[in-house]
Amino acid sequence: MTRRRSAPVALTLLAVLGVALVVLPLIGLIVRTPWSRAGEILGSETARTALRLSLIVATASALLGSLVGFPLAWALARSEFRGKALVRALVVLPLVMPPVVGGVALLSAFGRRGLVGGPVYDAFGVQITFTVWAAVLASTFVSFPLLVLALEVGLRSLDRRLEDAASTMGASRWYVLRRVTLPLLGPQIAAGLVLAWARALGEFGATITFAGNLAGHTQTLPLAVFEDLQTDPGGAIALSLLLVTVSLIVIVTLRGRFLQTS
Amino acid sequence: MKHLTRLGLTVLMLSAAGCASSGGQSAEGGDQHREITVFAASSLTAAFTQIGKDFEAANPGVTVTFNFGPSDGLAGQIESEGVADVFASASATWMDDLASSTGVSDRTDFAKNKLVIITPPDDPAGIGSIHDLARQGVQLILAAEGVPVGDYARQALENAGIAKAANGNVVSNEQDDAGVVAKIASGEADAGIVYASDVTEAVAPTVRAVAIPDDLNVIATYPIAVVDGSRSIDLAHAFVRYVSGSEGQARLQSFGFLPPA
Repeated sequence: MTRRRSAPVALTLLAVLGVALVVLPLIGLIVRTPWSRAGEILGSETARTALRLSLIVATASALLGSLVGFPLAWALARSEFRGKALVRALVVLPLVMPPVVGGVALLSAFGRRGLVGGPVYDAFGVQITFTVWAAVLASTFVSFPLLVLALEVGLRSLDRRLEDAASTMGASRWYVLRRVTLPLLGPQIAAGLVLAWARALGEFGATITFAGNLAGHTQTLPLAVFEDLQTDPGGAIALSLLLVTVSLIVIVTLRGRFLQTS
Repeated sequence: MKHLTRLGLTVLMLSAAGCASSGGQSAEGGDQHREITVFAASSLTAAFTQIGKDFEAANPGVTVTFNFGPSDGLAGQIESEGVADVFASASATWMDDLASSTGVSDRTDFAKNKLVIITPPDDPAGIGSIHDLARQGVQLILAAEGVPVGDYARQALENAGIAKAANGNVVSNEQDDAGVVAKIASGEADAGIVYASDVTEAVAPTVRAVAIPDDLNVIATYPIAVVDGSRSIDLAHAFVRYVSGSEGQARLQSFGFLPPA
């Protein structure tokens, strides 16, 4: 028998304040949107190109992030090695670093005069900055710690007896990973992917610093918003609202589907 | 219920404290505020920071607080938030904008600035003149359209008759002149166009400057004015006079700015 309890009044008031903190600025955006021009702004070449690029970059970053993030989370959750605490701290660093600093750091590593990028440029003439690859790398840099954190928590809370049971019945390690571990981790993988994707979608500082700002190549939606602020503030607000709406739809549908907490 | 009472009390106490402090402020309303806030174009960062120190030294007890940023953004912030006493813009456009919305007084042009091409010190693309910016494969960086220095740079390319080819070489539209300088100083692109005043003592060793002939160059004029509604109106006027006076002018010119006339 469960009885619904209401939260203490003070707690409720503070929670309402928390919601207001997020909702009021959103309402502000909606109120300030020049609705009469909305169709024209959102249908413009700039907006469509930027939205398409943003979706591609965010999706590629989430996938690239999980490619390196899953093994990393695995190592952090399941194995013991020297310097583990340091690795864990380093991995979350991009989350607390100002994105512009992240961009400068990426330049110094992968720019055409960078530690790695320099020799590559000199040997092959390959330059990543100002290309969509740089935008993907910048977004991956800032977003993949979220994935690692989500997956590590998931791996730690997993009931290992299920995996052990599969092993004792003769399943190979690879089979256990594919048929037991990954399916059990489904919700955490989805949550991590969605978080990382949403963070990548909103990325601005590291992208403009490392990848630059060029329509069709590196100008994602947040960069288009910034550029519009200089020439057409109403347009910038309409684009912001588009960005928020897209993120909201994805977060609600995906998290709703995978994280049914009932 | 007990929670609610406690919360109510806290709110009461907080609002009482708020009343007390605002009451105190109005009581001293007769005195001048010894503090001014200056919103200034980001190209003025180095020069105005120094002028602020000079002004504080000349007026003991006075504090000058700066907010540097792109002129258009600053004008927008003043219009919506109204916290600036003085506005110094990198173009007449945004001063006109503010003058017609919030209102300004004591407006005066205090400096000029011209454009210069910068390249990494080793000049990977071999830039000798503005016309080289049209050569295929040159990676060019400008400030975004709408940012004064970005618009001026595009005007200069137009004047040189190479707008189309040069625009095709643009690999990034930066937030401001500082963004252009950073990308060129790091050697990431071949050339950029910024203000002559951007090549400060600190920047000079990290870039190579190539002059743009005066007949092709765009000369930016910087207006400064006191913002209507300033709470430190006398001090704001004093600051504007200081900037256009001999000491301010000498300082500006040491930072690469040209005299206003």
